[in-house]
Amino acid sequence: MNNSLCKPWEHRLSRRQWLGVTAGAAGVVGLNGLPMPALADGLKRKYKQILFVWLDGGVSQLESWDPKPNTEFGGPFRAIPTSVPGVHFSELLPHTAKQMHHLAICRSVCTQDDAHSSGVDRIQRGDAKNRGVIYPYFGSAVTKLLGPNDSGLPPYVWIKPLSGGFMHKDAGFLGAKYGSLAFGDGKPPENLLKHASVSDQDLQDRAALRALADKRYSQTHRAGSTEANSFVFDMGLELMKRQDLFDTTKFSPRDVERYGTHDLGRHMLQARKMLEAGVTFVKVNSYGWDTHGDNFNGSLSLVSRFDQPFGAIIEDLAERGMLDNVLVIAMSEFGRTPRVNGHLGRDHWPEAWSIAMAGSGLKKGIVVGETNDNGTYVKTEPYDIGHMFHTWFNAIGINSEKTEYNNAGQPLPIAHEDMHPIKELLA
Amino acid sequence: MHSTLRTLGLFVVLSVIASSRSANMAQAADDGLAKRIDESVAAKAKDDGPLASNCDDPAFVRRIYLDLAGRIPSVPEALAFIQSSDANKRVALIDKLLSSADYPRRMHDQFHAMLMERRGDNADWSKYLLASFEANKPWDQLAREILDPDSNYDALRGAAFFHTKRLDKVGQQETDYPGLTRDVGRLFLGMDLQCAQCHNHLFIDAYKQADFQGLFTVYQNTFIRTDLKFPAVGEKLMTKKQDFSSVFDKVAMSTGPRVPGGKEIDIPMFEKNQEYVTAPDRKTNFPGVPKFRPMQAIAQDLTSASNKSFAANYVNRLWFVMMGRGLVNPLDQQHVGNPPSHPELLEQLAQAAIDVKFDTKTLLRQIALSATYQRDAQLPSGADAPKPETYRVANEKRMTAEQIMSSVLVATGTHEKPTELKGEAEKNRAAFVKAFGNVPTDPEVEFSPSLKSSLFLLNDTLIMDCLQSAPGNLVDRLTQATDAASVANELYLSVLTRKPSAEEAADVDDYLKKNADRKQAAVTNLAWSLLASTEFCLNH
Repeated sequence: MNNSLCKPWEHRLSRRQWLGVTAGAAGVVGLNGLPMPALADGLKRKYKQILFVWLDGGVSQLESWDPKPNTEFGGPFRAIPTSVPGVHFSELLPHTAKQMHHLAICRSVCTQDDAHSSGVDRIQRGDAKNRGVIYPYFGSAVTKLLGPNDSGLPPYVWIKPLSGGFMHKDAGFLGAKYGSLAFGDGKPPENLLKHASVSDQDLQDRAALRALADKRYSQTHRAGSTEANSFVFDMGLELMKRQDLFDTTKFSPRDVERYGTHDLGRHMLQARKMLEAGVTFVKVNSYGWDTHGDNFNGSLSLVSRFDQPFGAIIEDLAERGMLDNVLVIAMSEFGRTPRVNGHLGRDHWPEAWSIAMAGSGLKKGIVVGETNDNGTYVKTEPYDIGHMFHTWFNAIGINSEKTEYNNAGQPLPIAHEDMHPIKELLA
Repeated sequence: MHSTLRTLGLFVVLSVIASSRSANMAQAADDGLAKRIDESVAAKAKDDGPLASNCDDPAFVRRIYLDLAGRIPSVPEALAFIQSSDANKRVALIDKLLSSADYPRRMHDQFHAMLMERRGDNADWSKYLLASFEANKPWDQLAREILDPDSNYDALRGAAFFHTKRLDKVGQQETDYPGLTRDVGRLFLGMDLQCAQCHNHLFIDAYKQADFQGLFTVYQNTFIRTDLKFPAVGEKLMTKKQDFSSVFDKVAMSTGPRVPGGKEIDIPMFEKNQEYVTAPDRKTNFPGVPKFRPMQAIAQDLTSASNKSFAANYVNRLWFVMMGRGLVNPLDQQHVGNPPSHPELLEQLAQAAIDVKFDTKTLLRQIALSATYQRDAQLPSGADAPKPETYRVANEKRMTAEQIMSSVLVATGTHEKPTELKGEAEKNRAAFVKAFGNVPTDPEVEFSPSLKSSLFLLNDTLIMDCLQSAPGNLVDRLTQATDAASVANELYLSVLTRKPSAEEAADVDDYLKKNADRKQAAVTNLAWSLLASTEFCLNH
């Protein structure tokens, strides 16, 4: 954060502002305890949501979205047909291939950074033109630009292996409050469980008595403080009611089997539940994709473990009608070299790689862009991450060329101003 | 942290230094500065609307305890004040608290949060800060000791933590010299020069690239000493000026060490092998002490009475601590484009600070004596809320995590001595800081409740433990109380330091009646609801 030049000093979003923003999106009610499948229509929320799947380290485009079988660098895997005639994926994506009619694939991604340490940040922050400010991650950006919704839940959550906590660095110049709430290994945040000494009745009473005390106080003091206090208590109480989002023992056995019992399967299933519960932005992380050695066995295991839950969540979101409003993105910080190295690995390759997308605002069942025959470079117009940010913003209804951030008086474009939305992708 | 409090006796010796300050105290014993504060605020508020009346005794006793002792008063402390008929009792209480054992701890917590911005803790640093406020060390001296830390004296060496924590490498990132430079400007001069790192500031004409670079050349020359086990910072030899150029016009420039707005310090040249006072020693990793030490030179220039920004930043931050909002707001945006709300008042306060030789107690005392400080916090009914910068009503102040912790303990009667926690004291303090503090590097200025803080209050064992009945504690007293009116009185006085309104007392009565079969649970719920209320979590 030390490097975040020019910090903003905007006021906290008060509860009144939150409510003001969401007034237009009213009418969606909580879904506590309601059976899921019967409610397909009820799950369609009126506001936009995002599922962002991050494969950290770099998935090989050749072993996934852009196979080049029987070519110089193609590797040992075959290509298989998908649900869209003429479009082929690597054979490591059999489940996802069946969902291609929902997907939009861009095969002409060409970005600037081939290092993990800087690339992860640069890509997820959209690699805007350098003005000495640290741009927000896509999740923080969306949370800020879409504003709060009426679910009462945290707007930006991150389901990841290992540790959790509040990840304020995501937010860049937007300020810590736009950071993510990370559920380490899908576990709930600290203190989510009701204390043993407190009964349900006590908890209910406490909430009501606190609200009453704050209401009294606000009658003679500025409203902002009690609004902010009430907002975080309401959110805490709401999240406490949703222990089901974290209790994997209660997940339906059929879902668990379909998504897979491994971490990514479990986390993806949790992500679906978070989206159903109304979280605006859900990021799911998988680590260990940096296959410099033994890329092919590595991909066999990694891509397969991604394929099963990704195919399942696309199917489920589509079935529930949620893809109309949920934008899905699956990507890494770069692709992998077509040339196979001495350790049968593939190295970092930002020159020509692929991103898979689906849902809100995007065309269905299309492939945009093309690489050359051996997959080394992009043959069509190359798209940088800035083009992608433009596209995604527009896909969720934000005009990326007109909307600006206001960073303490400094106007900043929300996506690289020399780039533009990719029209072929947008519905 | 609390163990350092117990070893405080070792450093009381330092308070001898303070005795030389008593002359200053006497000099400012009148309330002349307080009067000037009130005149200035009244003149400015005239166009905006009427000033609120003086706050009542309960409001005053809570406010002044929080500001000077870092906690709410206990019931006996509050009652002793409220029931006293001494016409001079507010002055007496201010003076009592300024010389109480709570005061240095309170200032330690406030300045630790302000200067380190939750980057982490260090026992040497805490010891140093605590001893400094115990001795009422003048701010210019304190700032000099921090800006040019001396590792040779146990009592002073902790000051280096300000630098060493910022010079720490985090993960794969480079040492953040620009960040350290920026913080020296922000915290000691009230100037955030970071946007002037690569070019003259685009919006703030007064912030020049040379201002940033004149400090940067000093701090990029520093390093963490590896020959010592405690935090210590060393300096390399400086033999030439810092070259820089604007990213816009690429014109080559250079500067030696220079305080913004001050004179460039000449870099002296020495013969080969004559550069050191004490030469480096490879065997012990001792880095040597150069004859020319830019940190020392900058520490002198920056803290001198002729540097108006230094004095202005100091009084602005003290004003912020007491009044909830800087005269210059934000605190680190001191420049012509962002004028203070009361320019002449800031100037008077800065001059007063110089006159009393940066005596923190004297200045806090004068602010506390002012009618402006003692104004009521309730908004006038009907009218639009006055602008915070008019100080027509007292502004709500964010409480530090430490203030909240100590106040929870006092309110619930958990401990005899509110500044000490039994057992795992440091762990408990860390839990409160985690729940109520900002994330590292984020200045704690505004009230910012979060999901962390609400879940902590809702469910954390520490809070629940404070609400377990134990002989004589709050829940016990409430359970023993015979009628609803006594419950309401005891509850509101203990937690909110005031009487309940008729409406509030009726609510308590009503709730207790409905829960007559489970009185202890009911009073516990009532106590919890006030601990979680906005009124409790703010100083107003």
